[in-house]
Amino acid sequence: MKLREYEAKNVLKDAGIPVPAGFLIRSADELAPYLGALGDAFVLKAQVDVGGRGKAGGILMAGKADGINLAKDLFGREIKGLPVKEILAEKRLDIQHEYYLSITVDRSSKQPLILFTESGGVDIEITAKEHPKAIRKVIANPLMREIPPFMIRELVGTAPKEIGQIISKLYRVFLEKDVLLAEINPLVTTPEGLYAADAKLIVDDNALGRQGFTINRDLTEREREAEKYGFSYVEMNGTIGVIGNGAGLTMSTLDLIEFYGGKAANFLDVGGGAESERVMHAVRLVCSVPSVKVIVVNLLGGITKCDEVAKGIIAAAIPQKVIVRLAGTNEAEGRVMLAEKGYEMLDTMDLVVKKAVEVAA
Amino acid sequence: MIYGDKKTGVLVQGATGKQGEFHIGLMNAYAKQVGGRGVVAGVTPGKGGKEVHGVPVYNTVREAMLEHDISASVIFVPAAAAADSIMEEANAGIQTIVAITEHIPVHDSMKAIAYAKMEGCCVIGPNCPGLLSPGEVKMGIMPSGLFSRGNVGVISRSGTLTYEVVDELTRAGIGQSTVVGIGGDPVIGQTFVDVLERFGTDPQTKAVVLIGEVGGNLEEEGAKSTDLPLVSYIAGITAPPDKRMGHAGAIVEGGEGDARSKIARLKNMGVPVASRPSEIPQMVRDLFKDHC
Repeated sequence: MKLREYEAKNVLKDAGIPVPAGFLIRSADELAPYLGALGDAFVLKAQVDVGGRGKAGGILMAGKADGINLAKDLFGREIKGLPVKEILAEKRLDIQHEYYLSITVDRSSKQPLILFTESGGVDIEITAKEHPKAIRKVIANPLMREIPPFMIRELVGTAPKEIGQIISKLYRVFLEKDVLLAEINPLVTTPEGLYAADAKLIVDDNALGRQGFTINRDLTEREREAEKYGFSYVEMNGTIGVIGNGAGLTMSTLDLIEFYGGKAANFLDVGGGAESERVMHAVRLVCSVPSVKVIVVNLLGGITKCDEVAKGIIAAAIPQKVIVRLAGTNEAEGRVMLAEKGYEMLDTMDLVVKKAVEVAA
Repeated sequence: MIYGDKKTGVLVQGATGKQGEFHIGLMNAYAKQVGGRGVVAGVTPGKGGKEVHGVPVYNTVREAMLEHDISASVIFVPAAAAADSIMEEANAGIQTIVAITEHIPVHDSMKAIAYAKMEGCCVIGPNCPGLLSPGEVKMGIMPSGLFSRGNVGVISRSGTLTYEVVDELTRAGIGQSTVVGIGGDPVIGQTFVDVLERFGTDPQTKAVVLIGEVGGNLEEEGAKSTDLPLVSYIAGITAPPDKRMGHAGAIVEGGEGDARSKIARLKNMGVPVASRPSEIPQMVRDLFKDHC
């Protein structure tokens, strides 16, 4: 789950990394008491859970005179379709130089990867393409609680030494907060010292509980409801509802829908060993999306039993057409139950998907 | 076969849980069918002295190792304790550790995998269905009825999609040497590169089917690392960016790891990529035609 900028900055501040003086407001009127502390020039930053908010008009430069009016304006805007409910008002920094610092989980080495470059402020992907040598990298050992000094020296190079302390502190945040991506871009030098001018922290979804989060904000309401039942669910915008078991098989079913010229409405993996009640909830959840015209169930039973799946489909009793592919454990029993109720069944995933695309067209 | 054979003695951690008990039964039914040793011991802290399907249960891995000849293990322990189980087994000297458990925090996996590497052990998974060498050994939860013995290796980040492909292969008369589910998490022990290295020295394996999905670039790294003839399939062409598609590792992040660019890179390396699972058997046949 991606933390909002003000949350990420609070985490960094607690870890001893300097961040600009800032205040979170939930209405334009709340800005007034902070105007003194913010000084003559400050920034209003919409706290919305999307990337690229600057280009979408979510960041405004403000001053004492126009601050409250600009905040009103920003609260009235939608940033990439999301309403602005919180704004971070932050003192503007007198920036001398911008650096880039990040710590990620490297899939290839299976260890933390620390990146630092002296040309910050732009996308790291652009720097990687145009000046690959400008990016310094080290891979840390996850069994060590600190990054050894030689690695810090390799990263910092000729940049100000104090950056080394920021790297050490950010690494501690990375370890202690179950972070998958910690990024400070830009990390800036000013006459008053170093500051994390922007900050991004992504916390491992599998560690939200032990990090004290009760909900995953990255999910939509329907996705969160699905999570309660133990489904993996992603909303898309087509007309064919999809239920499968296993992430790979379900993804493959969505791809097959595109292959045959249709559009999937969702990804729903019921998980292993689903019983009839869970299947019923899955079918009802998928059909609750108004655009869904037909539902494909693609089930390869190992620990999941086909008769339980059939029972769940029948119990859901939904108005849309359901086309089913059942294979594996208790396949024959499941097929008999569905056939009695007149459900359409086909033998392979190619056949069910092809049929569903025809029905949806 | 790679990682194990009929003679491999397997230990199960989380032996007395619902999953552990169920799969000890299935693994040993398979061992009986092929004349292998199968699961010889179980471990659940505090349940030492019990039996599961006739398999003795111990409190610690070390105790079980004193009584039995064990070289591999399968872990069904819940996510909060699974990383500790991996380290316990590595410390006790088990060579191949299969972690079935899903939802282990990434930082826990990183530590446990780094520790196991230090101890000279290999970890398969986590969040995986394990592996199966038809006619030899099953370590994990794969439905053995779909498999047949032969000389095609299969490596996959997925569970049921692997079964789908294995089923297609078997129906087409193409048997498998070993099928390895390496897991759907962003951090996994054995990657495509590691498993392909083993297949490279396995005389039984003549070609490999590589089943990948969105997220990362381990598929390309694998393809680059081997001389074995490959067929690939990548799931997730329609996966929207920044959304986790069921697996913790199946996510297109910062514009990286999307299926189309993965497929393009594989094709550039000369690897044929199927556009749907049902095409795989014919592509494998073509591969054998080209190489024989």
